[in-house]
Amino acid sequence: MFERYHVPLRTVAGRAAPIPKFVITRADNCVNCGKCEKACIYGVHKRSEQDPRKMAEPINQLCKNCFRCIQDCPQRSLSMSPGSEYNNLGRGVWTSLRVLTMYGEAETGKIPVLGAGYRGLFAGPGYDGMWTDMSEIVRPTRDGIHGREYISTSVDIGRKPGYLRFTSEGKMMTSLQPIIELPIPIVLDVTRLKFMSMSVLEGYAKAAVVLGSLLVVRADTVLPESAKRDSGAVVIAHPEGTDVDSIRLPDETRMAELQYSEDWRKDARAFRTRFPKKILCFRLSASKGVERKVAELAGGGVDVAHILYDEDGLEQGNGARHSKDSLRAIHKSLVAKSVRDEMTIISGGGIAAAEHVPKTVICGADVVALERALMIALECRNHITCSDGSCPIDLKSASADWVEGRVENMVGAWRDQLLEVLGAMGLREVRRLRGEFGRAIFYEDVEREAFSEIEGGAGDG
Amino acid sequence: MAERAAGCPKIRPEADLVPSENLKFVNRFTVRRADTCISCGTCQSLCPYGVHKRVEGHVRILPPDDRKCIGPSCSVNYFFCVANCPTNSLSVGTSDTFVSLGDPRWTSEMILATWQQAETGQPLSLDHPGNVGASGGGFDRLHFKVPKNVGRLSPDDICTAIDLNRRSSGEKVRIPIPIYGGGMSFGSVSVYTMLARAKSAKKWNTFTCTGEGGYPDALVPYKDNVITQIATGLFGVREETIQRAPIIEFKYAQGAKPGLGGHLLHDKNTPDVARMREAVAYTSLFSPFPFHSVYSVEDHKKHLDWAHSINPKALLAVKVSTPNDVEMVSVGSYYAGAHIVHLDGGYGGTGAAPEIAKKNIAMPIEYAIPKVHRFLVDEGIRDQVTLLASGGLRTALDVAKAIALGADGAVIGTADLVALGCVRCGNCESGRGCPRGIATTDPVLDKLTDADWGAERISNMYNAWRLQWCDLLSRFEMTDISQLRGRTDLLVHAERNTKEVGE
Repeated sequence: MFERYHVPLRTVAGRAAPIPKFVITRADNCVNCGKCEKACIYGVHKRSEQDPRKMAEPINQLCKNCFRCIQDCPQRSLSMSPGSEYNNLGRGVWTSLRVLTMYGEAETGKIPVLGAGYRGLFAGPGYDGMWTDMSEIVRPTRDGIHGREYISTSVDIGRKPGYLRFTSEGKMMTSLQPIIELPIPIVLDVTRLKFMSMSVLEGYAKAAVVLGSLLVVRADTVLPESAKRDSGAVVIAHPEGTDVDSIRLPDETRMAELQYSEDWRKDARAFRTRFPKKILCFRLSASKGVERKVAELAGGGVDVAHILYDEDGLEQGNGARHSKDSLRAIHKSLVAKSVRDEMTIISGGGIAAAEHVPKTVICGADVVALERALMIALECRNHITCSDGSCPIDLKSASADWVEGRVENMVGAWRDQLLEVLGAMGLREVRRLRGEFGRAIFYEDVEREAFSEIEGGAGDG
Repeated sequence: MAERAAGCPKIRPEADLVPSENLKFVNRFTVRRADTCISCGTCQSLCPYGVHKRVEGHVRILPPDDRKCIGPSCSVNYFFCVANCPTNSLSVGTSDTFVSLGDPRWTSEMILATWQQAETGQPLSLDHPGNVGASGGGFDRLHFKVPKNVGRLSPDDICTAIDLNRRSSGEKVRIPIPIYGGGMSFGSVSVYTMLARAKSAKKWNTFTCTGEGGYPDALVPYKDNVITQIATGLFGVREETIQRAPIIEFKYAQGAKPGLGGHLLHDKNTPDVARMREAVAYTSLFSPFPFHSVYSVEDHKKHLDWAHSINPKALLAVKVSTPNDVEMVSVGSYYAGAHIVHLDGGYGGTGAAPEIAKKNIAMPIEYAIPKVHRFLVDEGIRDQVTLLASGGLRTALDVAKAIALGADGAVIGTADLVALGCVRCGNCESGRGCPRGIATTDPVLDKLTDADWGAERISNMYNAWRLQWCDLLSRFEMTDISQLRGRTDLLVHAERNTKEVGE
């Protein structure tokens, strides 16, 4: 029977203290009149339980910045300031707002819906300088929200033949390569995460199974027993210099990752001989000329390329491009060689918000790998340094069940937002979104089109 | 029905002072008094603004009223309290509350400036910081090359009116200012907010719009100034609501959530709202996207014909969002019979929308206007259609910039609400709704907005805006705002306006 893909959602409350966006300060001249308590509809101001003559400290995380208490205070004792912890939460593309949004998504699994219009910057670097298209009147539309019209988010990992060949008797001559069908264009990749504990890893692995996705781990990672049982969902990434002959893969394993090196052809041949029924993926750090390397891999019979960007979505080295530009170059080079469908592109790094999934796919990736987002889902404070001893949220003591729930919630919320983007574009499946950058709107292009005739506008000297 | 003839309608509602004590809470600067203060009263005798007050008989001087303070720039004055305090107890700095208000698109300066205009009806100077946001792109990077000298034309000599029907047939409708109010449904905002907007629309003989949540009876006395909206949810759309409307607006999409239907989360769907929408109370209402009867321009024409046959006198407006092919959508709408093509850009306002849709889907209005304008010109139909822009137009200068980019006029939403005292906290979507009583359906909170007071505030803001347009046009020696349309040569694209007034 046909079953619709469904991510089970449940509320998974955070373990750490909530981070208030705004902090209300009560000055000494407060006369405890209680007008703030009446004014606030969110319950920020309460009388002290110990001493009802006094007002308690404001509960800042409930504050929604409406200024009602400040306005109604007869003593002008209250003032509001931006929360410093909140402001320090973000860096790079991992802005405070994105981090806090992910905390919310991981807690509820719901699409963040807010009143009032957009309140951020006009555009920005990377994916912030890109808008997705929508359809109305002159083009077909799709009512994606809340599953009213079905939209598929399934993608395939593996090599797809462009056509089938048959003998004159009708017998198929084309040998079909193994393919993994994922119900979402998302895999979980923990290979580059700094922190890992047994229960966190177990939670990720369970989430990968429930989501129908894959979990990419390093070869030296010790897997928990439960994850070993579900090894079909686990992909092992082997470090550079691994002797392919020494690799052991469980029967259930469907795919393995090898590190790209100059000798990749030799490794690929050895892998094919030993594991003809498993999908071969090479992982490579993106840098200048990555599109040439990926095109070579495709020509050399490799099924999957897993491209790694840094945590801001940038390539390595001088003249580093953002994955927005890098992925488009890769996609174009594969299309130019007519091998685009023979290779799956997984892109990881810099995926810091729900909108980055469709945008990465539009730029040419088939599948998006979540890395740091998996940590943020667990309320990671996004510190530069990370060690067991200094973890402010004591992640080590988190239970696997809690980790699983948070990750499923976040991925569920992101999938729903992917559906909204697909619906707005009028697409019925995410496979058709791949490489659709002709329909996306890029900052440089629209600036030029709209403002080139204006003094100082793009293209004006 | 008021004046609807050609020529320049001379409608100039008087601007009265409409203060709001509630909106006086924002202090730009904080004056701190340390415990070392001996309450000598020197600061009181020095400060001409009345920040410091010492009551005779009180042991201690009152806390400083820093709303009146002009900030650290006061240090050049001989009366600067900080420098003159014998115990060095005073300090002046930027206020945290001021910093907490606003965001890059609606800066605190812009919110305060809008409140000031709503209070006084007096325009901002063209170089006021409240004219421009800090979003770093679009309208915030476009500036007028304003001539140095103040123009010689008086506001009475300048016409800011626009025609809404530019076709050769049908009712002629002319509004004295190039703006009307955008759709905000009953449910997303309170009936008092709708009334305030309708009353100010009547004063100015322009329009406001019902939004998609039906047509509350309270608005019927203002029906000549109320556009009825037919949106994908078809909530409360009836024959009589269509027949009483001078303009019928088809909402295909909304800038804040292009490609998604309207959102009304369950908390705000109170029994009154549900009755109007013929829905079950306290269920979330997500309108479909699109109209499931419209999958082509031909279907769209059928749609417009249907409305036209119910009310042949009404003008037809089509509200669309800004996809890549927005020019095709606009041309299609025109040929299907629309009088007004209303483009709602990606950064528009909303009572509730998914955050992902606000930033990421469809292009900002600044890009769509020139695209559509040029296409309509090339098609040879530019002067048969009224092109209105909305979605992130916050100030009078934003409207003027939109016109210079190629629109005829604009549709205003959020600015109306800010005039009513909105602080843009963004909590309109759930719970009891707006804690300030604007975008709420809570039977207690909605009493915070008085419709007559609100109408005066919005009307004042329109007055201030008109005077600012007149100031701008006068400097360009233009007598009619339509002369500004498409004049991209008057704009400069830069981080900051280096060609400011007087330079």
